[in-house]
Amino acid sequence: MTKAFSIFGSSSRPRLGPLEQQLLQALWTRGSATVRELLKDDSIHQAYTTVMTTVDRLYKKGLLNRVEEGRAFRYTPRHTPEELQRVTALESIRQLLGSGGASALPLSYLVEALSTHDAQLLDELQLLVERKRRELQSRQVKIREGAAPEKKPPEQR
Amino acid sequence: MFELREIAVSLTFFVLVYCLLSALVAVAWPSLKLLQATERKLTDLFFALRVLPLVASVIVTFVFVVPSFQLLEPRSLTVDEGIGAMPLALGICALLLIACGCWRVIAAHTQTSRLVTHWLEGAHRLPADAAACTPAHTLTFRSRREAPPLTLVGFRNPTVLVSESTLALLTPDELRVALKHELAHMQSRDNLKKLLFRFCPFPGMAKLEDAWSHAAELTADDASVSSLNDALDLASALVKLSRLIPVEAAPVCTVGFVTGSISTRVARLLAWNEAEAGKARLTRMRPWHAIPPVLVALLCVTATYGPVLALTHEMTEWLVR
Repeated sequence: MTKAFSIFGSSSRPRLGPLEQQLLQALWTRGSATVRELLKDDSIHQAYTTVMTTVDRLYKKGLLNRVEEGRAFRYTPRHTPEELQRVTALESIRQLLGSGGASALPLSYLVEALSTHDAQLLDELQLLVERKRRELQSRQVKIREGAAPEKKPPEQR
Repeated sequence: MFELREIAVSLTFFVLVYCLLSALVAVAWPSLKLLQATERKLTDLFFALRVLPLVASVIVTFVFVVPSFQLLEPRSLTVDEGIGAMPLALGICALLLIACGCWRVIAAHTQTSRLVTHWLEGAHRLPADAAACTPAHTLTFRSRREAPPLTLVGFRNPTVLVSESTLALLTPDELRVALKHELAHMQSRDNLKKLLFRFCPFPGMAKLEDAWSHAAELTADDASVSSLNDALDLASALVKLSRLIPVEAAPVCTVGFVTGSISTRVARLLAWNEAEAGKARLTRMRPWHAIPPVLVALLCVTATYGPVLALTHEMTEWLVR
């Protein structure tokens, strides 16, 4: 999955080539398809090998699943369009947060590029705050649990 | 004529030093962004740089130019010499600059007063439990829903306005830390500083003011947070209040809670670290830290006062000719 996000940069929209986008869109419409079935689509005017190479690239980027069907593969999108957008944004932020010691800087680079009042960004920021709060709470619970045995009453003789 | 000439020469020096230093500051300040300093130090540094041209030109005028003219200019010659075209022209420029500064200050103050009066219509004091963290002398008002979410207004009697929407959105802990943020602005007299910036206009200074404003927000964030829980409450309050779109643009003599880059502020708060915050508190500049440099400057001025007066007078003569 990580491989897929390296192509997206800091944007929450995937940066795919025109044919890649077209094929992904066709697969989202159909649900699943082989290369031959995709070629039956009137909007795709490419050679069989071109389409095969492109869907293979999408598979290698982690955006498609595939199962063998006779001598060919049947491809299925791994995410819905909404899911892909959300996961991409979250993964980008996660990668940036984990990319260095001073975690505030990479995140600020990402979010500076976007509108501060963008509702989606605010949702992401809210998620980050809530995640951090949960981490803090679980840490505090662990500390309390760790301290509890020391307060055990002395054993009765 | 002697007095008129003295005023013209003094104003000439004032405007020359002011413009020269302002141009220098406008060109040189971006290099300071590379400094590895705490936000508080950066805020102080940006403020000092912004007011340096005004302060330095006033000092030069009253400490050197006026005394040099009074002591070294022979009164008998002035009737023949006249004021001089250069001092007259630059003196008028200086008067226009001062008038422009005064007008900007009065306009900003009037606009703020008018808007604050509008925002305070139907407002009432915040309940004691909600405003528990604010000092007794601080006026804290619950304003109407469409007023800015959380704002510090005025500089003589600073008032914190909290809109009804803010009270409905924030938890008590979030409200407490957000109020502490506004109080940090109040203690730093940020509204008064903004008004001072209005008094000394110069092209190219807007970016320095923006940098100061951003650093002041981060400094107020740092001042209001004393634990990771506080940092998360403040970050949460920021995100929640960012969703409220203010109806009117904020006037000069106000400091809004939701200003600057929200994302950068939230990112800093999420990365809040107790050790670093403690270190920043220890390295904080205090007013008495300025005493040694001021004493050294006074000593230097005293030691070289005579020659500097003579040099200033020579420059005056050169200007008039």
